[in-house]
Amino acid sequence: MRLATLTFGLLAALAIAVPAHAEWKPSGPVKLEIGFGPGGETDTMGRAIAAEMKKQTGWDVIAANKPGGGGVAMFTGVGAAKPDGMTVGMGVSMPVLINLVLRGDKLPFKLDSFDYLATVTRAQVAIVAKADAPFDDVAGLVAYSKANGGAPVAFDAKPQELILRGINKQDDAGIRPVSSKSSAEMIQNVLGGHVVASFAAGAHIEYLKSGDLKMLASATADRHGYAPDTRTLREQGYDLAVDPWFYFAAPAGLPADARAGLAKALDAAIASDAVRKLVANAFHSEVENRGPDGTAKMMTDGIASVKVLFGQ
Amino acid sequence: MPELDTVLAGLGDALTLGNLLYVVAGVAVGQFVGAVPGIGPVMAMAIAVPFTFVMSPLAAIAFLMGVNKGGLFGGAIPAVLINTPGTPDAAATALDGFPLTRRGKPLKATKMALYASVTGDTFSDLVLITVSAPLAAVALYMGPVEVFCLIVFAFSVIAGLVGESMVKGLAAAAFGLLCATVGLDPDQGTPRLIFGWFELYDGLPLAPVAIGTLAVAEILRRLVAMRGGGRPAVTIPEAQDPADARVSWAEYWGCRYTMLRGAVIGTVLGAMPGIGSTAAAFMSYASARQASRDPDSFGKGNLHGIAATESANSAVVGANLIPLLSLGIPGSIGAALVISALMIQGIQPGPLLFESQGRLIYGLFGAMLMANVVNFWMGQLGLRLWARVVSAPESIVFATALLLCTVGVYLSTGDLVGVYVMLIFAGVGTLMTATGYSVVVFVIAFFLGPRFELSLSQTLGILGDDPVRMLDHPVGLGLLALAVAAAWWMGVRQRGSRTAR
Repeated sequence: MRLATLTFGLLAALAIAVPAHAEWKPSGPVKLEIGFGPGGETDTMGRAIAAEMKKQTGWDVIAANKPGGGGVAMFTGVGAAKPDGMTVGMGVSMPVLINLVLRGDKLPFKLDSFDYLATVTRAQVAIVAKADAPFDDVAGLVAYSKANGGAPVAFDAKPQELILRGINKQDDAGIRPVSSKSSAEMIQNVLGGHVVASFAAGAHIEYLKSGDLKMLASATADRHGYAPDTRTLREQGYDLAVDPWFYFAAPAGLPADARAGLAKALDAAIASDAVRKLVANAFHSEVENRGPDGTAKMMTDGIASVKVLFGQ
Repeated sequence: MPELDTVLAGLGDALTLGNLLYVVAGVAVGQFVGAVPGIGPVMAMAIAVPFTFVMSPLAAIAFLMGVNKGGLFGGAIPAVLINTPGTPDAAATALDGFPLTRRGKPLKATKMALYASVTGDTFSDLVLITVSAPLAAVALYMGPVEVFCLIVFAFSVIAGLVGESMVKGLAAAAFGLLCATVGLDPDQGTPRLIFGWFELYDGLPLAPVAIGTLAVAEILRRLVAMRGGGRPAVTIPEAQDPADARVSWAEYWGCRYTMLRGAVIGTVLGAMPGIGSTAAAFMSYASARQASRDPDSFGKGNLHGIAATESANSAVVGANLIPLLSLGIPGSIGAALVISALMIQGIQPGPLLFESQGRLIYGLFGAMLMANVVNFWMGQLGLRLWARVVSAPESIVFATALLLCTVGVYLSTGDLVGVYVMLIFAGVGTLMTATGYSVVVFVIAFFLGPRFELSLSQTLGILGDDPVRMLDHPVGLGLLALAVAAAWWMGVRQRGSRTAR
């Protein structure tokens, strides 16, 4: 991993060293591959960024969907593509990191198979319950679960399940994780009383406003802007967090000018009003581009935190 | 209940020439992509969503609803005319539609499909507009345990379609379930049966499997059987009795109970997330056959078969919006795409949608009713056109259909892997048909499989290790009892018909 960091550092230094007047231009259409199916929030965001890039730079930017395994299928293709700046992938950090940790030897790519370019935003993951539930925080949920011979709690991604297992391990809470496919499904099962609590990634905010749901904890590293009084899991005494970032990466070995040019174009597109508005509407969060080095660091740090989740 | 002036203002917003044009454009696109094998209305909606960014919110929804409604009827056209369903939910339409076409009555069959489709659609729209709130409460009550029991019940009803050999029917269903297990398992996240294809992490893609087994297999069969190639794909007798080219009021009215049953099945299944229009179509078809005095005429060109399928699969569209509008929860991919379009416009779906956007919602209702009328009218017009298209020589029609399937599947999966899957399953479908295994049963099992497995895993999570907790789910127990009753009744009936022979 140290070698990877060193490479990133070197490349970054090179990128900075490139004089500003030498503007990079792709020699053909730039293919922006989205690791999820058409029509969802991620797809919409990717397409909006592609459209902004096209508008601002005049490049021919083509968005394409490559769904499968939360981005693994797409990054498999991007990792093997020619590093000429004409192939860029957009995915979510968590599923990629988990696959790297769990079955890294079987994956056709490694963490350093990519040049990281930008982050867009991160999902606002929270633990919620029905407004009339007889508890207000995770400790209350744990007590409820113990008193009732275990409580079903819904999750829709592996790290969320690991958080539940982590709470069980720490407190012997007997929570029963219930696998789900989407935030919508989880919220329905909470409202219908089929599960006692669930994870949610933004879709819950409207229900907080309407008074149907309450938030027990922020499951990310920080508190959320819309609920500044709700404590994070860490603040509640559980050293567990999940931070899914939406990010861009290209095949490793990009020429320095291509890397700088892409990063600059992405940064401008991400900062545009259209993308800001979309992220606020669809993800209930703010755009946050950490730049090439910040993105690479986010992924490297992510590996460490996922290992903690898996108890490695 | 919102104020009357909100309702009127909303409906008034919908009834403008501009919106009508968007609906017409949507229905035209929908019927076209539905009729062209391989693309399907969901794919067309997904492609259209980013374009709605520049439209007004109401025009955007009107357009998307037009695509969705047009597409569901459009899927029936190739199913009836050349036995290659454009969408999987039209597979049951082909069972009785295509035999009618072979008897020289393609217009009668497609018109029945159109009338039943619009009837079922209008029924569920009216349910949505008038009683969506209580129905949403019912849908909320249906948790994973109840959904699991409902799928068991659906299987027991659909089992009536297995055909002559029970063993072969069960084998086809088991194979469908096996194919549904490809990909990450819902509990542990372990990849299963992917053989190094990371593209299959999310499972075998639905569209390529359905199109491969249902449409491409049939196209290949017809291409192989072709001699010369100058023959038209569909022949309509020159001096046709006009009664064979239309559906009379008596024929339509005769199907009223079948269509009502289909519309109710479609509406109930549509109100519950995750079951989908394919299951509704087949459940309606199977129950129409069970209820018929002459079940043996099904599969040979019975109008009731077409009416049952099309009324059910179209009723799902309106009903899908019930959980969306009253709870903010999308009931299908189509409804999720409507949400995406709303979110792009800065409108937050959720429990407050009706309060904050009442006028827009009534505008949506107005647009939906408009889309039904337009669907009916454009369908009448389009049918003549499609009937002309398929009277072109076989060599052209089937070769074009094969090309379109390939392009459509590539578009919908974004990858050549989808095309490989389609071709592999075309081979599988051909083999199954040749050896007497029901492809239709395979496809239903494959479609319901992932939901079945997920709800089983959720049920186990909710019940924990204590089966007594099942007593807290009386609806689920009732559905299981119905499933046993349906299986038993069918066994008795089959034995009865065997002794009669």
